[in-house]
Amino acid sequence: MRGPLRALLAAVAAAALLLLPGWAGGLHGAFAVIAIMAVAAYGLDIVVSDLGEVSLAHTVFFAAGAYATALLSTRLGAGSWATLAAALTAGALLAAALGLVTLRLREFVFSLVTYAATVVAAAVAHNWPLLGGSDGVSAIPTLDLSVGPLRLAAGNDAQLWPYALVLLLLTLYAVRQFRRSRLGAMAMMVHLNPRLATMSGIDVGRVRLLVFVLSSLFSAAAGWLYAYQRAYVGPDLFETYFLVLMLTAVVLVGRRRLLAPLIGTALIVGQERFLSFGGDVNAIILGGALVTALAILPGGLDGTLRRLFARPAPRPTAEREPLPQP
Amino acid sequence: MNLVQQLINGVVLGHAYALIAIGWTVLLGVARLVNFGHGQIYMLAAFVTWWATASLGLPYPLAILLAMGAGVLVGLVMQAAMLRLTFAQDLVSIMIVTLGFGHLMRGVAGLVFGGNPQVLETPLSLVDFELAGAWVTGQDLLIVAAGILVFVLLHYGLERGSLGRTARMVAEDPKLAQLAGIDVRRVYFAVFAFEGAAVALAAALVAPRTPILTSIGFEEVIVTFVVVVLGGIGSVAGSYVAGLGLGVFTALFGGFVSPAYATTAAFAVLIVVLVLRPGGLSLGGRAGR
Repeated sequence: MRGPLRALLAAVAAAALLLLPGWAGGLHGAFAVIAIMAVAAYGLDIVVSDLGEVSLAHTVFFAAGAYATALLSTRLGAGSWATLAAALTAGALLAAALGLVTLRLREFVFSLVTYAATVVAAAVAHNWPLLGGSDGVSAIPTLDLSVGPLRLAAGNDAQLWPYALVLLLLTLYAVRQFRRSRLGAMAMMVHLNPRLATMSGIDVGRVRLLVFVLSSLFSAAAGWLYAYQRAYVGPDLFETYFLVLMLTAVVLVGRRRLLAPLIGTALIVGQERFLSFGGDVNAIILGGALVTALAILPGGLDGTLRRLFARPAPRPTAEREPLPQP
Repeated sequence: MNLVQQLINGVVLGHAYALIAIGWTVLLGVARLVNFGHGQIYMLAAFVTWWATASLGLPYPLAILLAMGAGVLVGLVMQAAMLRLTFAQDLVSIMIVTLGFGHLMRGVAGLVFGGNPQVLETPLSLVDFELAGAWVTGQDLLIVAAGILVFVLLHYGLERGSLGRTARMVAEDPKLAQLAGIDVRRVYFAVFAFEGAAVALAAALVAPRTPILTSIGFEEVIVTFVVVVLGGIGSVAGSYVAGLGLGVFTALFGGFVSPAYATTAAFAVLIVVLVLRPGGLSLGGRAGR
């Protein structure tokens, strides 16, 4: 497909998406949550798919964005642009600190330390009065991105949905550009062959740190919009639900596919919103989906479907992620 | 006086930590496997113990056995699901799968046992002793005794016996072990069954100290990790010492600084250890062979 045609098609698809929740009978809330959680998952996706490490701290960056937004807007009356800047800064600072500490750690030790960071962040959020303690922060004002005479505000889910969609499209574009960029290529090289990367003059630690901080920006931005969407931020953001949701979204459909985390998020949140069996059964479904995606369907849904439909063809080995060599 | 009380608390807590962590120590040291559902097995086993005593009216020792049986079952199911990943030594995927199992178990516990917090009362938790001016319960003494017993048995069983040699051979080189006629699958299943039973035993003994909720188990994983790392990965004696040290540290920190931030302090210890001796953690190099 030629460039302009492709852009046109993307624009038409975006416009259709914008109107879709209205046609479907006012599902703006669910669509906004899907878009927001997908953006959060893209942050994790970059680390898991491109850097080859499993970060369990992306809920912290997500929550950092949400908390920065909640605190600044309720206590200081900050506007939505200021809270966006604060959310991104908070996420990036935390990611830089954690990234520096974990710079030399690999594989499951890296994951354990990031998991420990999540547990500690949850303990701090529960106990620090400045962050609202266990009660969290409520009565967050609605989103208002007005600039000068241009009024850009969202008082309800229907009005918020276009902003969530814009954030999602920006994220998709950024992830696509990242994968084509020099940094993205270096990340893949660091992932697949760290020794070759070092010999080629790539500073492995620097690439890891940069990608980690970059990835935190997506999750923090998602937290920013989530705070406005929910109008409440509390320590429940640190619960394993969000962590497992992001991880499942990343691995369910298949790795290193641009739309995979979005489809994964849509499947999970869609099930919870429209086919819910209550919190406990939903937790079993979500946990079961994560187990199934990795243990039973290598390559995710995408890999499985390809194998089903392309049976006579040779085995699609490209789907399978090469084992990260320590 | 207060110091003595905190020290005794710390010793009890330390044995509790060591007991909670021992399943992981063996899992990691013997089979090079990880289990992020560890905390949720703890939670599930605590609920099974509570249910067995409160609803079935079983005596406490039988309830412990029942909980351990449930732990073994969970461990076997998890290992069965992950067998392909285990043979591929795909630690990253194993990690995510066990997290998924953890979330699943939380749902199961909520469904079966309900969302209400429960208190597990054992006959021994009602018995008080005065020891050097400090109060301990019979349950505390049981935790210490069980901790010591488990570690002595393991130390001799794993580090001296032929069983331990077999398991370590599988850990070092699964393919070579298979060539040597060892049924590697059985070893993996046995190790995961032990992990389930060990954490269930810890839960049945330690859970009476705190209310039982479906959300517990989150912090147990961190405690476990700190113990395993401090003790040296896979070292049984090391994790006993590390558990004891961490328990005393947590009790003193909780008693004199802030109880709310005890986990945070444990994490700080972990970071210090990681920064001071990052090489001590390079399990990846050994496991990846």
